[in-house]
Amino acid sequence: MTSKNEQMLAFALAAVLLIIGVVCYAAFPVKTPEEPVRLMFKTTAGSILFDHKTHTSDAGYAIACDDCHHEGDEPTACGECHEADSDVKRPDAFHKQCKDCHEDSEAGPVECSACHVMK
Amino acid sequence: MSSEKKLIVPHALFPSRPGAAGEKKLVVAHAPYWHDGSKISTKNYHIMLAALPAVLMGISQYGAPAVGVIALSMACAMIWELVWNLLLRRPHSIGDGSAAATGLLLGMLMPATAPWWVVALGTFIAIVVGKQIFGGIGFNPLNPPLLALAMLVISFKGIFDFDEALRHYDLGFAMSYPLGQVKYFGTAAIDKFSVGGLLMGQQAGAVGSTFGLGLIIGGLYLIIRGYIRWEIPLSFLVGVFVTALIFNLSDPAKYAGPFFHLFAGYTLIAAFFLAPEDSSSPANFIPMLIFGALAGLMTVLIRNIGAYVDGVPFSILLMNLANPLLDKIRPKAIGKVVENA
Repeated sequence: MTSKNEQMLAFALAAVLLIIGVVCYAAFPVKTPEEPVRLMFKTTAGSILFDHKTHTSDAGYAIACDDCHHEGDEPTACGECHEADSDVKRPDAFHKQCKDCHEDSEAGPVECSACHVMK
Repeated sequence: MSSEKKLIVPHALFPSRPGAAGEKKLVVAHAPYWHDGSKISTKNYHIMLAALPAVLMGISQYGAPAVGVIALSMACAMIWELVWNLLLRRPHSIGDGSAAATGLLLGMLMPATAPWWVVALGTFIAIVVGKQIFGGIGFNPLNPPLLALAMLVISFKGIFDFDEALRHYDLGFAMSYPLGQVKYFGTAAIDKFSVGGLLMGQQAGAVGSTFGLGLIIGGLYLIIRGYIRWEIPLSFLVGVFVTALIFNLSDPAKYAGPFFHLFAGYTLIAAFFLAPEDSSSPANFIPMLIFGALAGLMTVLIRNIGAYVDGVPFSILLMNLANPLLDKIRPKAIGKVVENA
């Protein structure tokens, strides 16, 4: 058995924490940045974590946007054009884009298991 | 009084009063006793206080979403306990602080991006399935926050995949999940993590489990104040260290070194806040050492050759199951019972 004071403290704590929790979830949801930091591509051959920021930032590899996002004025997500029934399907587009660049610059992974992770 | 039993104890262990030489009796005064002032609630609030440095680091890194996870987790845990008390028409028990501590620890094990319904479900599992079903505080055979974590990790893989969950965060250090990196890409992928960095919380992970130094300080505080025993944390860490060292020596390219395993993932929060939980861990000296060491060993086994990235929840839950058996290893009771003395 706990004392009345302890119970009152617990009730107050629960109420305050509930309000803080609800407010935080409602008013401060996790923000999706305008330019992606990292992307998780999910495929039948596992997941691929792509560090977008390292590839694009000046401190990283400083790759220009239109080197990869080759269509349109504004960069669009790869999957918007490269769909399952497209001429160049999404996996082919990624493999060509990533592996060719890594091979040309002799940097970055080219082996399957260096990107693909079966979780 | 012929049926009364007396406990006879060796003279050397319990010296009797002067002048009573040769008398081998343990004399215990009868009631009323004087309460020393310690309470279950005091202990639980001290556990929460000890966890504060690690929680504050998580909040400083992930901001309001981390506050939301911790606050909602504590509130939901207390509400579930209250609801259960009301349903079963039992005395309200949230005043003992146990539900709040369970909620806090579960919140510390979750990513800052955990949806509200995962927090609500997790606290339900921890409080109702993990504790109240067995009779409430002191009766739980498994560690409630770990039971909830294990069920959530199995059920919602994506939410507890820290690489995916924290992909929008850029905190100025390598943000890929260290244990995932070493499991899938070998030790070459963890060069970017320094031991000092890991200790200072520079790693992706759950809200309250990445700040190693804070967890160690909190754990030492609990040990010094006597709220947890040193045997389980130390043997758990030794178990992790030795097993990781053996794996590392066998194949340094594939298996990370012992210090990496000590400071990455859930190791330190498990050592100081989860494994030594009262009712799910042994009470005797040798069993405590075996419990901790085997939990540490299995943690690294699961990390290195098992299916899961972090073996902490499963290894400790498994040892929780062995706890009653382990506690059978105990010294023989001193003295003997004399019938009709």
